[in-house]
Amino acid sequence: MTRRSRTDRAGKVFTWLCGGALALNLLMAIGLLALIARHGMAYFWQSPIAELTMRDGTALIGEVHGWEEVPADVAAWVGERRMRLKIGNRDLYGLDFRWVRESEVDAVDHPEDLVLLERFEWGNFYGRVSALRRAGTEIAAGGNATWASLPASYERKSAQREEIESLASGEIGRVNYEMEKIRLAERRAELRGHEAGAAELAAAIRAAAEMGARYEVLASQLVGMREQLKNETLLMTAADGQQKEIAVGDIVRYLRPNAMGWWSSTVLYFSRVWEFVSGTPRESNTEGGIFPAIFGTVMMVFLMSFAVAPFGVLAALYLREYAKDGPLVRAVRIAVNNLAGVPSIVFGVFGLGFFVYLIGGTIDQMFYPESLPTPTFGTGGMLWASLTLALLTVPVVIVAAEEGLAAVPRIVREGSLALGATKFETIWRVVLPAAGPGILTGMILAMARAAGEVAPLMIVGMVKLAPSLPIDGNFPYVHLERKFMHLGFHVYDVGFQSPNVEAAQPLVFATALLLVGVVIAMNLVAVVVRNRVRRAYATMAV
Amino acid sequence: MGIIASILAILLFIVVEVWPLVHGADVSVLPAVPVDETALALSLDPYRSLVVSLDRDGFTRVRNLHTGDLISSQPVSPGGVVEVIGGQSDPDGRFLTALDSSGKIELIPVSWKVGFADQQRVVAAQVGAASVFDQPQARLRAPFTARISSEDESQTVAAMADEETIVLFRRAREVNEFTGEATESDTRSTTASPPGLEKLLLDDELKNLYGAGAGGRLYRWRAMPRLSAEPEVAAVDGEISALTLLLGGRALVVGLRDGGLQVWFRAAVAGGEEKLTLVRKFPPHATAIRHLVSSRRDKGFVAVDEEGQVGLYHSTSERVLWRGSAGDGAVDAVAFAPKADGIMLARADGLSLIDVRNPHPDVSLWSLFAPVWYEGYDRPEYVWQSSSGTDDFEPKYSLTPLLIGTLKGTFYTLLLAIPLGVFAAMYVSQFMHPSLRNVIKPTVEIMAALPSVVLGFLAGLWLAPRVEAAFPALILMVLTFPLVVLGTGVLWERLPIAWRIRMPAGSEALAFACSLALATAACWSLSGALEAVAFGGNFRAWLGTAVGLEYDQRNAIVVGMAMGFAVIPIIFAISEDAFSNVPRNLISGSLALGANRWQTVSRVVLPTASPGIFSAIMIGFGRAVGETMIVLMATGNTPIQDWNPFNGFRTLSANIAVEIPEAPQFGTLYRVLFLAALLLFVVTFAVNTAAEIVRQRLRERYARL
Repeated sequence: MTRRSRTDRAGKVFTWLCGGALALNLLMAIGLLALIARHGMAYFWQSPIAELTMRDGTALIGEVHGWEEVPADVAAWVGERRMRLKIGNRDLYGLDFRWVRESEVDAVDHPEDLVLLERFEWGNFYGRVSALRRAGTEIAAGGNATWASLPASYERKSAQREEIESLASGEIGRVNYEMEKIRLAERRAELRGHEAGAAELAAAIRAAAEMGARYEVLASQLVGMREQLKNETLLMTAADGQQKEIAVGDIVRYLRPNAMGWWSSTVLYFSRVWEFVSGTPRESNTEGGIFPAIFGTVMMVFLMSFAVAPFGVLAALYLREYAKDGPLVRAVRIAVNNLAGVPSIVFGVFGLGFFVYLIGGTIDQMFYPESLPTPTFGTGGMLWASLTLALLTVPVVIVAAEEGLAAVPRIVREGSLALGATKFETIWRVVLPAAGPGILTGMILAMARAAGEVAPLMIVGMVKLAPSLPIDGNFPYVHLERKFMHLGFHVYDVGFQSPNVEAAQPLVFATALLLVGVVIAMNLVAVVVRNRVRRAYATMAV
Repeated sequence: MGIIASILAILLFIVVEVWPLVHGADVSVLPAVPVDETALALSLDPYRSLVVSLDRDGFTRVRNLHTGDLISSQPVSPGGVVEVIGGQSDPDGRFLTALDSSGKIELIPVSWKVGFADQQRVVAAQVGAASVFDQPQARLRAPFTARISSEDESQTVAAMADEETIVLFRRAREVNEFTGEATESDTRSTTASPPGLEKLLLDDELKNLYGAGAGGRLYRWRAMPRLSAEPEVAAVDGEISALTLLLGGRALVVGLRDGGLQVWFRAAVAGGEEKLTLVRKFPPHATAIRHLVSSRRDKGFVAVDEEGQVGLYHSTSERVLWRGSAGDGAVDAVAFAPKADGIMLARADGLSLIDVRNPHPDVSLWSLFAPVWYEGYDRPEYVWQSSSGTDDFEPKYSLTPLLIGTLKGTFYTLLLAIPLGVFAAMYVSQFMHPSLRNVIKPTVEIMAALPSVVLGFLAGLWLAPRVEAAFPALILMVLTFPLVVLGTGVLWERLPIAWRIRMPAGSEALAFACSLALATAACWSLSGALEAVAFGGNFRAWLGTAVGLEYDQRNAIVVGMAMGFAVIPIIFAISEDAFSNVPRNLISGSLALGANRWQTVSRVVLPTASPGIFSAIMIGFGRAVGETMIVLMATGNTPIQDWNPFNGFRTLSANIAVEIPEAPQFGTLYRVLFLAALLLFVVTFAVNTAAEIVRQRLRERYARL
């Protein structure tokens, strides 16, 4: 073999290895996306409910959530396969899942009369319907008769539930808000001193009494309605024969999955997707929807954009159009690039120390002394989170905007200047509009980064469960000081800190899918816009 | 301009927040208040407004601490005025102990009532009736000591009954719940005293009685339920002149006649039995130490020597916080204010207060990075443990385990990311057709955009259990992947040339991807078999017995894989940039001289682009160091310090995320976390700047070529 062919061969081998490295990267990327997509989308799909008859004569009802080999630690059953069965009925069994070994099972069946109840509390219930009662008396008995009369009862109760919710969040929420305002007014009057505040104090106390009376009326009304909600109950029989009475008002959804055709399955799928995106969370975020998290994320990203856009664009304009190229500008560029490389948690720490404690604390002392020691702005909130993120993403915008400005062909500027426009007019009327798509790209990338960022936000304002949205019907409608929920934090919190990680995992996959989908979509848009712009300039420059 | 200013502002802000950590104590000596009587013991209220003194003439006096005005006085002994020859104050300030000339010991309870009048705080002192201890047929004498149990209010007194006997009294008070009648019951026990005993001390839990005697001997008797006969003895090199216990009652501070200061506590050194051990020494005073008082807030203490020089020290951080004098002449009595914000000295010419502002005595740069011998440990160690359930807990702020954790995570990340990122970039830029390249590059860019919280979630909850269940599969993959790639390459060569020519250059990478996917599946299913053959059927057990390593489910390898995923696109993008910007004429020249494609890449392109690759690695390093969510979710977050790849760890960044929500503003922990942030900032900033400068140089060089 000649030396030549040896080096040829070695070269080929190394080339292949390089190719292998690339292939592995692609494989990982695609595999990861596929994984998230599969698990995320499967969350909404209703699989059939199985009824297992065990060898010892007992029965189990539940959904099969995958098989695996018994791990080596469980020495007695090595070599056997086991399934993870979601048995639900947390109020009866305490656990949502249990392992069932293959050898324990005698027969598996999928009877059509098995019922799945999604409930507001205690998770899913699997079993059979036995009877429907109103105020203790039976209105329907037996599986099919009860099933047939369930829809009417459900309609009644969900209407009542809606009424309760609108009362609780509307009327009572307003009264609560007014009472809080009066309490603060009282406190303010007290702070002002005896003489100056006396009249206001008296007025506040009178108003408080009035509001208190109104609250009492509403509250007793609410209690009555709640009781009414509970007066129709469904008697369910679980797999082991235990009976459980469940108020129809507590049911989110009732199904017989094994009796459903593909069409109703699909409808169910999309109704669940809709519930997920638009509903409120239940059972400490592990069930229900994630609308508050979506809302919080979107609002924070937009607030951040408002803060970041002018600064980023101005800085880019200065760097590209006004500053003379020299060591200083070079230093600024390096600094900008570096700012992008500083760990996000450092921004979080800075945000906490500077925005929350220093600025927020000062604002509280100056404008909200009446509510101290409960902080208003002196604690993490929407505004501070947005500003922290703005700081974090400003380099992204600067770099992209500068690139956009640089891509505007010289002839365009020179044409404008030759027509007698001043430098400012040229920039304002000609260069900026031309660079618009480039700046837009930067903004989109910044928003994508902000949407996925979690670490700094954990410190400056995210919470697992925000009691109210940052926007509501009470003056001044937008409450920037409120804490908020966030998709990324939802993933972290439900995935790692919730009491029932096992049961919540599918939901987290769904949230992750949504988050990844949004971020990737934004990035794709940015890539497409950028390519378009490049092509447009390429033709313009000719 | 604004950018540089804001970076500087961020840096400055963080530095300002960190600065008080290394700043010493702010101490100012307030003017002395003249007092006629000689005080033997002092006690201050928490707000530093009143002082109670136990005076030699047999009275306790309550004074305004700032003006010296006498507020009240009462005799020490209920039986009449007797001269007091020895006095002590309880470390918690709840009582004063007097030894009078008739050989009795009196415990005088002192309590503080805090009220408000006209928005002004008013503190009143309540000095209660003394509880008297005496020994029949003997006169109690010095040394003596007393404590009141914080649990059941029982009083314990230890003193010398005669030259050779130590007596320990315990007075339990029981209040009958129906009648409200209090009954007191005394128990006493004695033990033989070693010769020349000079100091006695009871610890907080009343379990141990410590003593110091002639010849530099430290003694420890068990005090529960009664005094043990034989003390544990330790030898100090020097005569002991003062003794106190630090907060928590586990560590002794020993003051020597030659001015030396030492800290002792019980530790089992080198696997031996637990015994009193010299832990650390402080710079000595010029003359003998006369008084030692410990702080009730932290592990700090005050030492006063014969000449009246005062020193403020902290045991854990080994810091000398302040030294100086507050007036001339010997000091009769010393008290440390309950909030550790003042030191009161009694001299012949009066009382003087030293105002101490000292918010962070418990850390020093040394204690943050070097091993520290903490109480209850057997050797100096690096420990991060910032909080605990008890008040007398010694916070352990060592950043070293976190730094090691950070480096460990970064190391495994880069181990994966550098080869994959750089080689893939090389392949894409040099061997791939532009049409394919335009698809691959955005794909990798999107990989970079994946939120790290999602990566962390997958690593922690999906990958970690799977890796744990089938770790041998990973080993198999590492071994077989290169072979699979080569095999696929050989097969690819065999394809008819007519097919190959139609596909764009670089399509074989797609073939590799397919075969690697198959190989992954194969490795996964073979994992069990390999485990059975090579690792005795259970990898984790094998690792424990054969290698001696523990296996955590969330370990450094899992983190390396997840974080590698986040870092690969960064390394890829920057090195791809460096590769593809190598001037065409260099490549053409090399090819024209007869070098083949690979020779050109390895001998011309790689050396030319190497600074770019260096900066890619640097920037990847910076990202890995600062990454928070992935390590937070994919490690167990235990701040242990080792290099075992199968163990979890905690990084600086995750530590900040975990602890800062619980850190009170401006507390020591808060500032230490700011210091961690500052470290991260500085490290990443330095690394990124270096990388950026290298890149700019490279760009200039390309422009010249």
